Amino acid sequence: MIKSYRLSRMISDIVIYVILGGLGLIWVSPLVWLLFHSFRKEGGVSVPYVFPKEYTLDNYKALFTNTDVFDYPRWFLNTFVVAVFACIISTLSVLMVSYAFSRLRFKSRKMFINIGMVLGMFPGFMTMIALYYLLKAMNLTQTLPALVICYSAGAGLGFAISKGFFDTIPRALDEAATIDGATRNQIFWKIILPISKPILVYTVLTSFIGPWCDFILVKIIMGDNRDNYTVALGLQRMTDKEYKQTYFKQFLAGSVIVAIPITVLFLKMQNYYVEGVTAGGVKG
Amino acid sequence: MFGKAKKICAVLLSVAVFVMAFTACGESSDSTSSNTGEVGNYGNYSPLGREAENGTIKLKVWGPDAAQESLREQCEEFCKLMSAYATIKIDVVPQGEEDPASQLLTDPTVGADVFGFACDSIDKLVNAGALLEVTGADKDYVVENNVEGSVLAATVDDKIYAYPETGDNSYCLVYDKSVVSENQAKTLEGVLEACKAQNKKFVMEANNGYYACMFLFTGGVTIDGYEEDGTTQKFAPYNMDTATSTVMAFRELFSKYKDIFVNGEVTKVVDGFKSGTVGAGIDGSWNFSYAKEALGTNAGFAVLPTINVNGTPTQIVNMFGYKLIGVNSSSKYPNTSIELAKFLTNEECQKDRAVDLNWGPSNKNVAESTLIKSDAALSSILEQSKNSVPQVAVSQNFWQPVATLGNIVVDFDNEFTDKDCQELIKKTIANVREG
Repeated sequence: MIKSYRLSRMISDIVIYVILGGLGLIWVSPLVWLLFHSFRKEGGVSVPYVFPKEYTLDNYKALFTNTDVFDYPRWFLNTFVVAVFACIISTLSVLMVSYAFSRLRFKSRKMFINIGMVLGMFPGFMTMIALYYLLKAMNLTQTLPALVICYSAGAGLGFAISKGFFDTIPRALDEAATIDGATRNQIFWKIILPISKPILVYTVLTSFIGPWCDFILVKIIMGDNRDNYTVALGLQRMTDKEYKQTYFKQFLAGSVIVAIPITVLFLKMQNYYVEGVTAGGVKG
Repeated sequence: MFGKAKKICAVLLSVAVFVMAFTACGESSDSTSSNTGEVGNYGNYSPLGREAENGTIKLKVWGPDAAQESLREQCEEFCKLMSAYATIKIDVVPQGEEDPASQLLTDPTVGADVFGFACDSIDKLVNAGALLEVTGADKDYVVENNVEGSVLAATVDDKIYAYPETGDNSYCLVYDKSVVSENQAKTLEGVLEACKAQNKKFVMEANNGYYACMFLFTGGVTIDGYEEDGTTQKFAPYNMDTATSTVMAFRELFSKYKDIFVNGEVTKVVDGFKSGTVGAGIDGSWNFSYAKEALGTNAGFAVLPTINVNGTPTQIVNMFGYKLIGVNSSSKYPNTSIELAKFLTNEECQKDRAVDLNWGPSNKNVAESTLIKSDAALSSILEQSKNSVPQVAVSQNFWQPVATLGNIVVDFDNEFTDKDCQELIKKTIANVREG
């Protein structure tokens, strides 16, 4: 009986791991391909085999030295600056909006929550042309601040998840602080924020990643001003039919490098993430 | 204490935002009011008209990256040429040839004064009113000096809207001379046989309407602009039997050589030359220099070959695009821009580009010159234009159904009878027309 139980358990484990392993392999294979071929020396766009025959760092070097046509370092810096500012602004606004909706009771609060939810359902690029003309009226088109505004201005609407998190923090904490003489503002900064690290990390990560991935909006806003392109748009350029033969390997290398700041941020934040969860548990 | 400081900060910030918004509005309305183009006010003393009177003329030019250097040189030459009339400053900005359409449609006022674009976007640009029409003597100049197809490509509703820049935006047969002989390259049967003999692949991007349209066009199913509604694709009258037998001929021939036939992305041709796995393929003119680089003296170029349809060798017909130079209708200096566009597309500049960039000319004299005749790649692609349908007035709905047809035709695992073929052609045409 026990034996057969063990056996059946082992078999089911094997089956499950094989399936999971297979899925994992499928999921990770394009990334592995990307990584390997970004170091490929021979060939142009594609080669008829999976692993490159010769490896080189030239693709990466060219990305940073051969900047006449595609100024990757500049675009990388642009994206980084935009991402940092967009991240700070949108994190603050998301958390503040969520705090207000979670803790304060005011007239038409429900209505605002509903409006926020409905507005959040429209895809952002619907308003792109309108956005362009608004920015133009403010003389901001083809500038980086325009991108920061676009990526962070609507962030407050994404309050749903962090509001849910704030709702789980006992109000007794707020009340205790109020008795001690803290204002709403102080409660937010000194009580709620320190125990909300997980959600803080989540918001920071999502808003930081945005600018690295979007190229539709950048394309409209930047027009022909190449100096202010971001990496996503620049990389897309490299795959245009005229450049693909020459730049495809650099494109692969560029895609790998994009992953670095995001990964670094994630790894750094991950510590806080875990710490935040446990700290919150003790205090809660 | 801090609370107060924060409040003051917030108030200051909001004031700043308001001020910014208002001042910005003021500026932008100023700039639009001064932008009243004076079209057609030619002065007696200068081809630039009154534009020359107001000091320095500043123009922006869009051209592809590859052409930046030669474009800059040519613009400098133009400035020198016009220095007797006015001081002209030209800013050359890199911009792909597919982009002007999308950018000018969003906001024509930030566009370049003079820009290069691929002819398939001309309807969009004309509909948006972004292009200045070519009129009067300029029109005759364009018609007289350029090959017919390129003029057709610049024409919308019998009016010319751009200056032809190149006559080579298409594809033809590219092969490895050590695999395929010049004689074999004349027929598709010969090409495939030669590739098979040395176990090399033949690459064609059949899952792309741009290339798959060969199957239809060769059989006489060609497009002929739009219906009267201006959006539905019109097809020229065709014979269903010819069309069917032609598509079937492609299918049967490719399926006979299915071991070596590759339905893959066009970049695989050059990649294959590099790795020595491909013997021949159908490749675009923008990749010719890479093919030369990969094969060296063995690089062979030829017009698309013939295919044997019911015993008669039939020339393969393809779609042919042209690059054009247009003048932005919201340019502040329309006269100068027109002169510049004419200059950039004249014989000398086209010759320079043929030498520097390997771009095939649209200018008749350059096309007939020994310079072009001695270059196999350029002369092949120019020759191909004679067996082609110009890439103008092609509906948005054209590409996908034709790509699907291409995929089905070269899907050798499925059974495909004459009747299926007829159905497929009918369905494709219906899908293109109905969207």
